Amino acid sequence: MKTVIKTSNLEKIYNSSVAPVRAVNDVNLEFREGEFTAIVGPSGSGKTTFLNLIGGLDKPTKGKVIIDETDISTLKESQLFDFRLRNIGFVFQSYNLIPVLTAKENVSFIMLLQKRAKEEMEKRAKEMLEQVGLSDKINVRPNQLSGGQQQRVAVARALASKPKFVLADEPTANLDTESAFNLLDIMSRLNKEENITLIFSTHDQRVIERAKRVITLVDGSVSKDENFDR
Amino acid sequence: MNLIFTLAWRNLWRNRKRTFITMSSVFFAVILAILFFSMEQGSYERMIDSLVKYSTGYIQVQDVLYHEEPSIDHAMLFDEDIEALLEKYDEEISFHVPRLQSFALAATENTTRGSMVTGIDVEKELMMNDLSDDITQGEFLSKNDDGLLIAEGLASILGAGVGDTLVLLGQGFQGTTAAGKFPVKGMVDLKIPEINNNTLYMTLENAQWFYGADNRLTALIIMPENPDKTQSLAQQMLEDIDREWYTILTWEELLKDLLALMKFDMAGTMVMMVILYIVIAFGLFGTILMMLIERQREFALLFSLGMKRKILAGVCFVETLFISLAGTLMGVIGAIPIVSYFHFNPIPLSGQMAEAISEYGFEPVLPFSSDPTVFYTQALYVLIISVLIGLYPVKKVFQLKILDAKH
Repeated sequence: MKTVIKTSNLEKIYNSSVAPVRAVNDVNLEFREGEFTAIVGPSGSGKTTFLNLIGGLDKPTKGKVIIDETDISTLKESQLFDFRLRNIGFVFQSYNLIPVLTAKENVSFIMLLQKRAKEEMEKRAKEMLEQVGLSDKINVRPNQLSGGQQQRVAVARALASKPKFVLADEPTANLDTESAFNLLDIMSRLNKEENITLIFSTHDQRVIERAKRVITLVDGSVSKDENFDR
Repeated sequence: MNLIFTLAWRNLWRNRKRTFITMSSVFFAVILAILFFSMEQGSYERMIDSLVKYSTGYIQVQDVLYHEEPSIDHAMLFDEDIEALLEKYDEEISFHVPRLQSFALAATENTTRGSMVTGIDVEKELMMNDLSDDITQGEFLSKNDDGLLIAEGLASILGAGVGDTLVLLGQGFQGTTAAGKFPVKGMVDLKIPEINNNTLYMTLENAQWFYGADNRLTALIIMPENPDKTQSLAQQMLEDIDREWYTILTWEELLKDLLALMKFDMAGTMVMMVILYIVIAFGLFGTILMMLIERQREFALLFSLGMKRKILAGVCFVETLFISLAGTLMGVIGAIPIVSYFHFNPIPLSGQMAEAISEYGFEPVLPFSSDPTVFYTQALYVLIISVLIGLYPVKKVFQLKILDAKH
C-alpha cells in the first residue's frame, strides 16, 4: 500500500515562560493508504500537536512531514491553505460546522472552495449525507441537529472532497455511546468503501477497539505502534 | 464572490438582535448628524438668503471708496460706463437694482430717531425681494410716489402711523443739507429686529432729490441669471470696469464679517459633530469586536478547512458594509420627513436665545436646510467611519493564528 504521510525526526517545542515544552519528540511514522489509525495517550502526550503538525496547522520545530512527496513543513502559509484544501479532511471534537449553512451546504463547502462544478457538488453532498444516514436533514441548519448528527455531517464533509486522508481530533469525545458507535460504524464503513486514510487522536476506548493500528504517544514520543487484524 | 455575499448575508441574520442594534446605532447616528447639520446649515442659509435679498444682493457695483467709507459723498454716478457694463453682460444678468442709501434723522412731533433711508426703484426692488408682501398697514410705494414706507419697529419708536408725516433731516451729497417732509404711505414688517427698528424706504428719485444726489447711487445691485456663477461673473465685470472709480463686490465680500463669524461658529459645530462621530464609532466598534471574539473558533475552523484569509476578510468586511449601508440608508430616509417638516415650519425661538439671535440682526427661528449636500455629506461621513471600522476585522483575520483561535 502506498505511503500517504511520512514523518521523520518530527519535533515540536513550545517556549513557555517556565521552561521549553517538547510536545512532539523525534517521531518517525508512516501512514499508508486506507489505514484506520488511532493515536492514543494520556492528556499532554502530544496527540493533538502531532495531528496539527501532519495537518499543516502548525509548523514543526525540527523534522519533516512528507505528504505525497511534498514536505509540507517548508510550504508558505498560502500554499498550506491550498494544500489542506486539496488533500486533508478534518473532523474536530466540537464546533465542526458552519452555523449559517445547511447540512448540504456544509458538506459542499470544501468542494465549493475547490471550485468544483455545481452539479458535482450537489450530487456528492447528497450522496455523502445519505451515506451518513442524514438524507432527510439536507436543508437543516446545525442548530437543529443533535451533537451526533452534527459530527456525522462533519464526517460527510471531510470525506466528500475525497481527500488523501482525514484527521479527526477526539471526534467522539462529546457524544453519547449510541451516537459514538453510530459515528464509528459510519467512519469504518467509509474507510473501507472510499479507501480513505483515517487518523484519530482519542482517549475513547470505543474508537481504539475499532482501529486497525494504534499508536501510543507518551511525552511526545511514540511508545507503542501496534497493528490489529480487525 | 457569491460565497462571500452568501456567508456575509446569512451571518447578519444569525444574531438578529445584534444586527438590528448595530443598524439602529448607525441609523440614529445618521439621523442625528443630518438634523444637527441641517439645523446649522439652515440657519446660515436663512441668514445669507435674507441678507442677500433685502440687503446686499449677489453682486454690487459701488464707488471705489464707498465700501471702505460708506458715506453719501461716495455715491457713484450712474453714467454711460455703468450702462455699457450692464449692456455687455446683459445675458448673464437677470436684472439690476439701483439703491441710494444714507442716514437721516426721522422725527415726528415728539420723537426723533436715527434711521437708514433707502431709495429704491420700486419695480426692480420687487423683482429682488417680497417687500410688498411684508406690508402690514397702508400700501406699497408706487412708481412716482412721494411718500415713505416705514418699518414697524421704527414706526413704533416714533409713534408714527400710516397717513402721518415724518420730517427727515440729514447730510446730503457733498455737504448739502438734506431736509424734507414725507407722508407715511405704508408700514412694513422687516422681521430682523435691527433693520426693523431703523428703516425707511422711498422711491429712488425721491431719495436722489432729498440727498441732492441726482443720478447717483450708493450701490447698483446685480442679480445674476445663475447665482452659482456669482464669483466668475463678478470677476469678469471687474476686469471690464474702470477700477479707478468703481469696484465690484460679491455678497461674500460684502458680508465678510458675518461669514467669518459663521465659520467660527461652524468650528464649534464641527467639534460637536466629531464627538457624535466618536460615539458612533465606538458603538459600532464594540459590536464588531464582540462578533470577532465570538467567532474566533469558527474562523479557525474555516482556515483549517482551507478557506483563504482574503475570502474570510471579505466576508467580515461585507458584513460591516451591509450593516453600515442599511443603517445609513434608513437614517437618510428617516431624516427626510423630519428635515422637510422643519424646513417648511422652522422652530420659533423664545427667551434669551431669541434675544441673542435678534441682537445679531436675524429672525429668531431655527430653520432646517433641505439641501441635498446635508444628507449625502453626513451619510458619507458615517459610512466612511463604518468602513474604517470594517477594516479592523479584516486586519484581525489576517493576523489570526489558527491554533490560538481553535482553543
